[in-house]
Amino acid sequence: MNLFLQQLVNGLSIGSIYALMAVGYSLVYSIMNFSNFAHGSVIMLGAYFGYYAMTLLGLPFLGGAVAAALGSAGVAIILERLAYKPLRDRRAPFLYFIITAMGASMFIDNSVIATIGPTPKMYPNVFGQGPISIGHIDIGRVDLAMFIISAVALVALILFIDHTKLGKAIQATAYNMKASALMGISPSFVIILVFGIGGGLAGIAGILYGMKYQVFPQIGAITLKSFIAAVFGGLGSLPGALLGALLLGILETFVSGYLSSQYRDLIAFTLLIAMLVIRPSGIMGKNAEDKA
Amino acid sequence: MEYILGIFELSAINLVAVLGLSILTGFTGLFSFGHAGFMAIGAYVGGILTKNLHYPFWVAIIAAGLSAGLVSIVIGRLTLKLKGDYFCIATMGFGEAVRLIFSNMNYVNGARGLADIPQFKGASLAIPFVVAVIAIVVAWNLVNSRQGRNMVAVREEELAAQMAGINVLGSKMVAMIASAVLAGVAGALMANFIGFIAPKSFNMTKSTELTIIVIFGGLGSISGSVIGAFLLTALPELLRAFSDWRLVFYGLAVIVIMVGRPQGLLGGSELTPSGIRKMLADRKAKAAFARAKAGGRES
Amino acid sequence: MSVPILELKGLTKRFGGLTAVNDVSFRVEEGGISGLIGPNGAGKTTIFNLITGVYKVSAGDILYKGASIADKEPYKIADLGVTRTFQNIRLFKNLTVLDNVLTASHMSAKYGLAEALFRLPRFRRDEKALREKTMELLSIMGLADRAEVVSNNLPYGLQRRLEITRALALNPKLLLLDEPAAGMNPDETNQLMRLIGEIRGKFKLSVLVIEHHMDLIMGVCEHIHVLNFGCTLADGKPETVANDPKVVDAYLGAEETK
Repeated sequence: MNLFLQQLVNGLSIGSIYALMAVGYSLVYSIMNFSNFAHGSVIMLGAYFGYYAMTLLGLPFLGGAVAAALGSAGVAIILERLAYKPLRDRRAPFLYFIITAMGASMFIDNSVIATIGPTPKMYPNVFGQGPISIGHIDIGRVDLAMFIISAVALVALILFIDHTKLGKAIQATAYNMKASALMGISPSFVIILVFGIGGGLAGIAGILYGMKYQVFPQIGAITLKSFIAAVFGGLGSLPGALLGALLLGILETFVSGYLSSQYRDLIAFTLLIAMLVIRPSGIMGKNAEDKA
Repeated sequence: MEYILGIFELSAINLVAVLGLSILTGFTGLFSFGHAGFMAIGAYVGGILTKNLHYPFWVAIIAAGLSAGLVSIVIGRLTLKLKGDYFCIATMGFGEAVRLIFSNMNYVNGARGLADIPQFKGASLAIPFVVAVIAIVVAWNLVNSRQGRNMVAVREEELAAQMAGINVLGSKMVAMIASAVLAGVAGALMANFIGFIAPKSFNMTKSTELTIIVIFGGLGSISGSVIGAFLLTALPELLRAFSDWRLVFYGLAVIVIMVGRPQGLLGGSELTPSGIRKMLADRKAKAAFARAKAGGRES
Repeated sequence: MSVPILELKGLTKRFGGLTAVNDVSFRVEEGGISGLIGPNGAGKTTIFNLITGVYKVSAGDILYKGASIADKEPYKIADLGVTRTFQNIRLFKNLTVLDNVLTASHMSAKYGLAEALFRLPRFRRDEKALREKTMELLSIMGLADRAEVVSNNLPYGLQRRLEITRALALNPKLLLLDEPAAGMNPDETNQLMRLIGEIRGKFKLSVLVIEHHMDLIMGVCEHIHVLNFGCTLADGKPETVANDPKVVDAYLGAEETK
């Protein structure tokens, strides 16, 4: 029982990071209808922004998190303006968006390797040593921070989307961009907004993930997991992405705990393909017939 | 001399894989994130057959192509119905799964990789070139047949293709199998050329590098893919000093091409006499169209 | 009475709670030109999508030459001889005029994949015949001198014409035209009317056309079916339909709300 609870807690902790990534990615998908496959690179940059803010500038953790969020949001918006907007203006085929995103990801990742270098960097330890024990369950300090901060960020996002004018504008645009534009909601503004929010969440995910492990140019690869989570939940659905991410996190820790960590990723990818085959619209996605 | 030959060998091997992806992405409009997975299958089949079972190169190469092709039938059945991003994510899942399977397989040494695979030497060094020429001819014949035209129609406008009696799923399947066979063959060539393979050589970066060559050469152009494969394989080898910046440049080039010149070097055109005639005729028509438009506005 | 080329029987299509087409029945006689008209959103294009298999039928049946095609894949329906054009032209934009039509005539070639990969004799023979046939069709349709032009660079009127040509390349028995005169001036519309009449005779076709241009409908159609909000409003000869008070009402009503 204790092992079970311990795994559950670990699963929720890693799942909450996946959720931060998946929700941002899914948010952009809901508006743009394309996967921003450069999301992982934005997360990686967030980890570096946070790292340098805390080591070079000597900011406390919260300062680092803000720097990571703002920096990543900025990068995401710049990426949108420079790379995706020209394609949108030209109504380029969907394939071009994906290829551009892939190119952007390759550019960003390798720029970091070429300038900062591939050596992993350690965050300073700001949360203190040793796990916190509750009953028989140990929770790592970083894991606890991951869970709390992710939860706060996600709740803030949900409140923002459901209860503010801007949030409603995003929902309206996701539902029907043309009609919303006619109602006076500028699609261009909403697009910048979602890239900003998605980037901000990515930055926070980056700093947290960097603290749990280390910072290196390839950590963006972890976003593969957030794509899986988003597909599980249903691409474009925020509650779906959240649920998918938590389920994936829990599943992974249970596979590692009860089977072997070697099979963790393999099972995640196999489940991904199985899910796509059985129910591509995911747990919460709509299964609507396209209007041709 | 040997060094230069090596670069050409590598270019020829890459070319085989690139041609496969050219058929899939350039002509059929399907974007695969996991194509290195098919290469990995070919490389391991080829490696095991030549190293552990002592089969000759040719047998290994053919078996590698067939195995990748067989796997692609299964993967195609599962994923080709998926639309757009879902297909990309599914292929990504496939590529990673293949890599992880080999990483966990003790028979092939897991993540440490398979070493001491028999290498091409002497006369057998010609094998990659022979295979590359065959691949060019076959790919060229494919895209210039009715089956190839159907693929392009699927890329251009799926719905209209269906209305023209084209079995969209069938066409995608043919493209998928053709590209997987070529990737598998390229994998076996790679294994026998380098003599060593490891799962991490077939990660997503490998998949994207291949795609970049296709894009650079131009979507929908066999000759573009050929030129792209030689240029982009040889260039970084010759500019070793900037090796850190190679992928930075690739990434940037992709964005610039997509934003500024999405047809790439030769998109949709071929460097053949009739292809060049077509290009010129089209340029004339475009100019006439622009003139007519401008004239219409004035009146 | 002979078997009609197309017969809709109580055709119904629902999207979630919305019934886009509700219990529609009508027939297209072999060799005839029929019109399908109605205000925007009446369900005309949805009916085309149902006939061609793009949408699955919710209830009712579609008979082609007396046999049901309601559960067939779109490409199989096209192979049987039913094809269409689109309201918003859907050409293979980056291909030349020739390649657009060549692609659509793929069923006329019989060679298999292996024969193509290795350029066996049948491949060469079939391809040559295919090209000749395509060029012939292009000349009939007045597009021969533009064969090498990328279709996206054609003037609008010719793009419409090319789309019809591409449809004809399939040797269809039933051609569905979705607003072929959209965006055309009266002159071009007249030309199109003549063209529709001509190809019907030349290619032994039956035609079902959706159109808003009343001149065109009244000028070429022998039979008209009127839809409103997914339901049948009227059905009959052009002059009867045009004088039907319900039809007049629906159209005037639609005008007022515009």
